[in-house]
Amino acid sequence: MIKYWKYILIAIILLLGVLFPFYAGAYQQSIARTVLIYLVLAISWDMLLRSGQLSFGMAGLFGIGSYASVLLLLRLGASPMLSILGAGLVAFVVAALLGILVLRLRAMYFAITTLAIGEIFRIIIRNWSSFTGGPEGAILPNIIFDGDPVLSYWLVLGLALLAIVLSVIFQKTRIYFALTAIRNNEVVAKSSGINIFKYLVIVFAITSALQGMAGGVFAQTYGFVTPESSFSADYILLPIAMALLGGIYGTLGPIIGTVLLGVLAEYLKLYIPYGHLIVYGIIIICIIMFMPQGIVGVVRSKIIRREVG
Amino acid sequence: MKSGIKTLVLVLMILLISTALFAGGQSEEGVKPIKLGGVWPLADITGEQGSKSAQLAVDEINAAGGLLGRPVELIVIDSEFKPEKGAAAIDRLATIENVDVFLGGMSSGVHLGQIPTLKKYKKVTVWTGAASGRAEEAMGPDAAWYFHLHPWDYNQGASYVEGWEAIGAKYPDLATAKWFMAYEEGAFGTASFNNWVELWGDNGIVEGESFTSAAFGGGDYSAVLEHAKEANPDIFVWAGYAADALPMMEQTKAVGFEPKTYIGSPPGWPSDFGDSPLAENVMFYGMWTPEMNKINKISKHYYDAYVKKYKATPETYFAPLGYTAVYIIAEAIKRAGTVETEALIKALEATAYESPLGETITFGPSNIIQHQGIRRQKIIQWQNDKQEIIWPFEYKTSDPVYPFPSWNKR
Repeated sequence: MIKYWKYILIAIILLLGVLFPFYAGAYQQSIARTVLIYLVLAISWDMLLRSGQLSFGMAGLFGIGSYASVLLLLRLGASPMLSILGAGLVAFVVAALLGILVLRLRAMYFAITTLAIGEIFRIIIRNWSSFTGGPEGAILPNIIFDGDPVLSYWLVLGLALLAIVLSVIFQKTRIYFALTAIRNNEVVAKSSGINIFKYLVIVFAITSALQGMAGGVFAQTYGFVTPESSFSADYILLPIAMALLGGIYGTLGPIIGTVLLGVLAEYLKLYIPYGHLIVYGIIIICIIMFMPQGIVGVVRSKIIRREVG
Repeated sequence: MKSGIKTLVLVLMILLISTALFAGGQSEEGVKPIKLGGVWPLADITGEQGSKSAQLAVDEINAAGGLLGRPVELIVIDSEFKPEKGAAAIDRLATIENVDVFLGGMSSGVHLGQIPTLKKYKKVTVWTGAASGRAEEAMGPDAAWYFHLHPWDYNQGASYVEGWEAIGAKYPDLATAKWFMAYEEGAFGTASFNNWVELWGDNGIVEGESFTSAAFGGGDYSAVLEHAKEANPDIFVWAGYAADALPMMEQTKAVGFEPKTYIGSPPGWPSDFGDSPLAENVMFYGMWTPEMNKINKISKHYYDAYVKKYKATPETYFAPLGYTAVYIIAEAIKRAGTVETEALIKALEATAYESPLGETITFGPSNIIQHQGIRRQKIIQWQNDKQEIIWPFEYKTSDPVYPFPSWNKR
């Protein structure tokens, strides 16, 4: 019976999500696009985390995707949609190559290496002015769908659904069990015959492709790239905070965290225009301090306690 | 089953509340106000003081009876220095708050993200920030509703050359032939350097080197300063952010570099910069300083009113620029007799506003857009904790002090 309600709930949320532009205005759609972009980053970050690998590479891969998308359109005349797919492919290839080199590293060593991805590409882009536009960036002649907000929203929603579906599939396939085994005890996983390295490279490349496509969608929606905004640290810090708030190691946690923090940020801004960032920061700190397992973790432990009791 | 229903209700409630939260807007009791929608980065001094100055102007206009018999309302939204947030703010102002005019602005990066949204609504826009030529390129030549107050980067560069040539001619001992620019590696600093080389290269020797701004995790300028010292320029200039100001001075002193003229070129200074003995006789560029009060009664009126209302002093030229934007819009609405877009554009084209910034502001075409306002920056110098205007000479409040005094004589 619970399963039955679960599917009804998913269908209703999906319907509400798809029909959102018909009952919400331009502003709400604009906020929803931003929230969905962060949702892609938060889920994809969490997918890799499930293997025990902490990545700070989101901003770099988001920036690589942004630039790849804009340059494919400007330099090769690719269509906006094709350039977004191209952005995902470029991020996939970069991550796969990098993964082969660095995915034997663990913990902070891997995290620091991924952090460097963004910095390295930002420096290359800034100094290769003739191709990338240099420090001043590049602008597109037109934004995607000629600025049609409904189509733009559906595009971002489609990407977010892709990330959610991939995340769910990961949890139901042998890759998930391999990843969980790696996180729980790498030596045992190895001795069980799991090809740790292969699975890590696959997951890193796929999650990076999602992050690159998110960057591509962002650049095509706003019509520009600059090294500072495309590689902004916001694309590392906010998705992590969102996933932690909702609860890590699952699909539902990052979704809940992203929607709550995304909506909360706007709500606070409207009511405390000159101090909302301080309040926002304090709320994030308090939640992480007092609810380290996230909302999903708290709810789950309460349910377990009730069932046991 | 019970928990399933509960979860379903909870999720639906969250979704409905989320949508309703942002569907605000104002009630329409009494006379409908003329609405101005402002977007600034409110956590930054430029946005905080720019928006507060705009509110000050609105208060003054309302105290004098409003416009066209209607009160004026300013709705301010924070851009958070993020392009997507700046664009969402425009969406909210247009569709929920139903503003008549957009104003505000700081940061080219944010503005680039807002431009597609501004183009969607085509409402009259009076913008106070964004200097990057990329933003002008993105706006394009067809936006008749777009009025840009802040000089573009090439306007600024041209005005610096004009200023230094004039200063060189008036004060022949102040050498201006050999320059060294330390510039932050981002868009702002690099564009400043490139413009400078393009504009000044034929008239003097220009060398430069980039640094990572303290605002973006840098803050060690010693290598650049050593190279500048070796180059022995007549004029040393750094183009960075407020966060670089004091560390740059400290490190210049530490490496024993004493250029004959020292210029800092951030968009805004730390509020306590003038208190440091290291600040004495540093020159910089800006559109306004409190010393303007000595020669301009509108500036004095603005300054006194700001201090009275907010118990603080305006520290950045973005403050009077916000005030100026509101008055330019208000005068145009009076002339047009309506807030209808076409009539308001025509009225704005006839603007000749005597501003607290000194100049009488008019609009004319720039390289791309149809309506560019201010085209010059001023050359200013810290003298005895005051920001004295050196050039343009018509706004001069003091002669330049040169050469730059030795560090051990402070």
